[in-house]
Amino acid sequence: MKAKTIQQILPPPAPHMVGDGFRVHNFFPSGYYIGQSRMSPFFMMDYNSKVDFSPRETPRGVGVHPHRGFETMTIAYHGKIAHNDSTGNSGVIGEGDVQWMTAASGILHKEYHEEAFSKKGGPFQMIQLWVNLPAKDKMSKPKYQPITNDQLGKYQLPNDGGTVEVIAGEFKGVKGAASTFTPVEMYNVKLKKDNSVSFDLPENFNTGILVVEGSVKVNGENAPADNFILFKNEGETISVEAAEHSILFVISGEPINEPIAAYGPFLMNTHEELEQALEDFNKGKFGYLED
Amino acid sequence: MLSQLKKYLHNKIKITDDQFDLIAKGLVSKKIKKDTQLLREGDICSQVFFVAKGLLRAYTIDSFGKIHIIQFGPEDAWVSDRNSFYFNQPAMFYIDAVEDSEVVYVPKDFYERAEKIIPGFTNFSVMILHNFIRFMQKRISLLLGATAEQRYLDFIELYPNLTLRVPQWMIASYLGITPESLSRVRKELATKNFKPR
Repeated sequence: MKAKTIQQILPPPAPHMVGDGFRVHNFFPSGYYIGQSRMSPFFMMDYNSKVDFSPRETPRGVGVHPHRGFETMTIAYHGKIAHNDSTGNSGVIGEGDVQWMTAASGILHKEYHEEAFSKKGGPFQMIQLWVNLPAKDKMSKPKYQPITNDQLGKYQLPNDGGTVEVIAGEFKGVKGAASTFTPVEMYNVKLKKDNSVSFDLPENFNTGILVVEGSVKVNGENAPADNFILFKNEGETISVEAAEHSILFVISGEPINEPIAAYGPFLMNTHEELEQALEDFNKGKFGYLED
Repeated sequence: MLSQLKKYLHNKIKITDDQFDLIAKGLVSKKIKKDTQLLREGDICSQVFFVAKGLLRAYTIDSFGKIHIIQFGPEDAWVSDRNSFYFNQPAMFYIDAVEDSEVVYVPKDFYERAEKIIPGFTNFSVMILHNFIRFMQKRISLLLGATAEQRYLDFIELYPNLTLRVPQWMIASYLGITPESLSRVRKELATKNFKPR
């Protein structure tokens, strides 16, 4: 197989606050204006690089807000995130855990620093990814997949070189814990110093790797921590060598070739569907959640 | 940044590019950060603010320190204190930016020039004024005689996306109800309209 070509290694864009709890670098779609469908089915990626939050009695976060037409995937590396939604689900995303929430036809939720973490303060690091849904599933029933770290599929690399945690898709026979609507490969890779791993990901899948920690050489190019490696749709094989202990977040998915209409927390196919989403949200058709 | 004002006027009246350049001469457009104060109560308001991008609000602060929002000014809105702008009286309102915004500062002579240069401008100006009066009349009647739910339903029809852009307490302040009442209204609407799939 041919090596996958790197298009660009993107340093983290200037951060902005989401509510008062998440200090995020947006790699796409707005961070580098790479286009709304360049990473399809992934629409948006917010990365909270490691930052210290001071202790606080009242947890920081984002209050009640709606979503429709897509899924959110949240993974925590440092700190804990508490979550409540209008379908009655609630939980805590602990370090190493994943939450895959299918907003689909509509959900209200709020996300905060978990109370004990907020009181103690300390390093906080997480990723939130928006995964688009195909038109036929946009108005399906909302669902929620809380996946703790021990439920993730795990592939141990040879010579105790590290672990590939399979969030979605499959790696060397190990299946991902999350179910997806379209073909998605998503791994959290922990690679020890001087070890290597390689992935074969289809040429047509939009693919990227975020270096969460450490520093790696990817298909011959150096990529430091907090950088996002964007691949062209050429070649399949990605070879990674760790210059030091490193953590990588790998995403690759089959593009959804449908029109995109986006406004704030809604991700639909047409402008009319966005207007409908606003009206439905305003009229309580997403349900209710106390702020 | 005057392009949004130009686009707006093009959609409303017959105006050539040359005419726009003539009337827009000397207009100042600024990018302002969220929370920037544009007018304080008691000052003289010497311009109307045209919102090219973002969101302004006009409000009063009562003797208990409570904010009462008179008007929201999203894209293409004209926000001002007319008592101060047209009658040279001290302003009754505060005006500030709810979001990072782009605002065109429109002084009196803009209107005078526009009326001389563009034949249809006076009629357009009168129409804007009538619209504003109509809006205010409806607002007074809702504030005096409508239920919290009726006020909210009117609000979401007028400003469908502001529920995503401003906090609940500001909407409650605009509607003249408590944040708790607004929560109750939204909860009741959800009970009525939410059908789980």
